[in-house]
Amino acid sequence: MIERGRLLLFSLAASVGYTLAYYFNWPLVIYYPVVKELHLVRQGPADGFPIFYYGWLATAVVIGAAAAWMTPRRWTHRLPFDLGWIVPIVMLIAALTYEKRWF
Amino acid sequence: MGDSLTTALLILHSLLAVALLGAITHQAIAVRGRTDTGKKTFGSRYRAVDAAAYAGAIVVLFVAASLIGASLYPSYRMIVRPVLELNDLRVANGSFELKEHFAAIGLLMLPAYWAAWRKPLAAEHATARMSLTWILAAIVWWNFLIGDVLNNIKGLAH
Repeated sequence: MIERGRLLLFSLAASVGYTLAYYFNWPLVIYYPVVKELHLVRQGPADGFPIFYYGWLATAVVIGAAAAWMTPRRWTHRLPFDLGWIVPIVMLIAALTYEKRWF
Repeated sequence: MGDSLTTALLILHSLLAVALLGAITHQAIAVRGRTDTGKKTFGSRYRAVDAAAYAGAIVVLFVAASLIGASLYPSYRMIVRPVLELNDLRVANGSFELKEHFAAIGLLMLPAYWAAWRKPLAAEHATARMSLTWILAAIVWWNFLIGDVLNNIKGLAH
């Protein structure tokens, strides 16, 4: 069973990773729904509009998994559990700030 | 994706969202604790459930609703979003952008949420447990309401 500290670290790193991914547009993959194709790099206009959302999520999962897997147990064990709700609140505020342009 | 499959998935997405909304709301109310006044009111009965028992179902429902939502996303981008842009419905468009981000953050929070609710419940994680539950509840409520409103503006079926 995965220890609590590692699950917490995954959530923390992945939610920060997701925010960085959409802010700086770092999609791991790009999906083109018109031609129904996944690509690692941006394609030309002939392929239609791109969807970055899946790629941002994939970037976040990779960052979260890498952090949770590579960090030694003695460090994950010491993580304050309250970061588990403080960091998502900060990330939600970041999303609200980023999308303010629509309102 | 064919129109009938899209509609079926949209209905399934809505049903999962309703179940998730009920479960997370019940857990969020219950996690605040029981107020034992001796009276058996509707409120006291509503709160008097084992909040931890909801955690597994909430994780499964959140993941399932998110996966189906993600599979419907290309249809949203091709059918609904152009209508919003054509009618200059910027608030509706922005609200959906937030729904996307909130769903992603909620999904990525699930391991921490699961760890907080894992039995035996750690007393020192009580604040984190309550806060994570309330944040997830807020995300689910926002996403449910925005999804409903946008579907009312322009459903996915042509």
